[in-house]
Amino acid sequence: MDDKKKQELLDAFSEKLTNAVRLYMDGCTRCGTCIDSCHAYQSMPETRYTPVGRAQVVRRLFDRYFKLSGRIAPGMNEAVEFTDEWMQQVLDAAYSCTGCRRCMTVCPFGIDTQQIQGIAKHLVNTAGMTPVVLNMLADMSIAKAETIEDTRENFEQGVKNLEAEVIEKWKSEAGEDAIPIGAQDANVLYVALAGKHSIIPAAAVMNAAKEKWSLSYFEAVNFGAFAGNPAKTKVIARRIIDEATRLNVKEVAICECGTAYRVMKYMTGDHPFKVVSVVELFARYVKEGRIKLDKSKIEGGVTYHDPCQMARNGGIYDEPRYLLEQLTDNFVEMTPTREDNWCCGGGGGLVAMGEKDFRMKSSSVKVDQVKATGAKVLCTACENCHTQLSDLNEHYDVGVKVEFLSELLADALVSE
Amino acid sequence: MSNHDVAKTLDLKGLPCPMPVVKMSQEIGSVSVGQIIEVLTTDPGSISDFPAWAKSTGNEVLETVQGDPIKIYVKRLK
Repeated sequence: MDDKKKQELLDAFSEKLTNAVRLYMDGCTRCGTCIDSCHAYQSMPETRYTPVGRAQVVRRLFDRYFKLSGRIAPGMNEAVEFTDEWMQQVLDAAYSCTGCRRCMTVCPFGIDTQQIQGIAKHLVNTAGMTPVVLNMLADMSIAKAETIEDTRENFEQGVKNLEAEVIEKWKSEAGEDAIPIGAQDANVLYVALAGKHSIIPAAAVMNAAKEKWSLSYFEAVNFGAFAGNPAKTKVIARRIIDEATRLNVKEVAICECGTAYRVMKYMTGDHPFKVVSVVELFARYVKEGRIKLDKSKIEGGVTYHDPCQMARNGGIYDEPRYLLEQLTDNFVEMTPTREDNWCCGGGGGLVAMGEKDFRMKSSSVKVDQVKATGAKVLCTACENCHTQLSDLNEHYDVGVKVEFLSELLADALVSE
Repeated sequence: MSNHDVAKTLDLKGLPCPMPVVKMSQEIGSVSVGQIIEVLTTDPGSISDFPAWAKSTGNEVLETVQGDPIKIYVKRLK
């Protein structure tokens, strides 16, 4: 690796060195409390899959370039220099972690390992080693801001063609669009994903609640975050912020996508609108008596997988449980649950990257947790988790039905 | 009605996010420059995703045909 490349990596590392990160770098005593908290290590017990093991890959670079001992006598500690070989280890550390932050909840010093992983991804990106598929998806999202005018009418027609399926679930009021789009001054701008499964159930629920809403022209997910690229993350989020501001909406409701929610809620600053998860929105509808649900629709026990980016990283625990209690008398909690819930193993870009062998092997602990509930229905509220759980269900022959919470709600809507 | 000389058809119906674009990206190299891939999808988002993907990768969406499934015709340009 030449000196220019080393300097670029050093500059990238420096950009991420907040006071908190310096504390996380210096504060680890290698106590090992975090080791057993990682689903990957629980499923594949290798040091490289421990939170502290991954963090050490970054921390040893910190020791070399940002500590006095490393600068004057690097041989005295475990300091390492930027090399092509070491960057392969950084890549491995960055993309064997899903960013679930389960390790942070057990660290006695409160070290946010995910912020260290954020440095790893930023270094990987600076070195031009980011998985090609993540950059491709991020670039597509950015390009959409430029091509949206060319595709607007076609997209609107495509959405219009879904209205009959929405009406099958809930009949709209006379004269009302089943899927309004581009509506000025709506209460809610609903930001979905590309698939119709992300639009139809949510539309039915919002129509049942007589919400004044509008569908976004953009997809919710932010691939810039998966790629560890702060600049792209900002540009991708800006498309939705500008749309919401232009339409003068009161709230932006993010669909069942954990990363999309966390990025928009916590990583984009203040806005003239409120950011909520669609799960929070739907729980509010039930509490306010705006929608009624039939408890007899779901057969068998139902358990819930907390998406890490919505729950542990976003604080949404109670609303999905409240909704499920309105849908069934057979709700079964997983053990452990809530902030201690095991990650499904599909986050951090792994689902988009493929990586099926690693995803399956590193998540056997999740499979054991689901099986122990005895539930027939495994519900979640994140597209990424839904894909990973569906893959696990098939791979390990778990025998559950994996469902989105919005789908269960839409199928249980009743007039009275 | 479209009348493209299709080299390959990709059935991407019902795939979760972001697999339609991921699959397309993986498959574009399987046809020669100048050839056309026909995409079958049920995702309305693909209608705007594929032109954006084509712009960012230097390919071209020739036509989008509404229906069930939606058909998108993509020409490999490089």
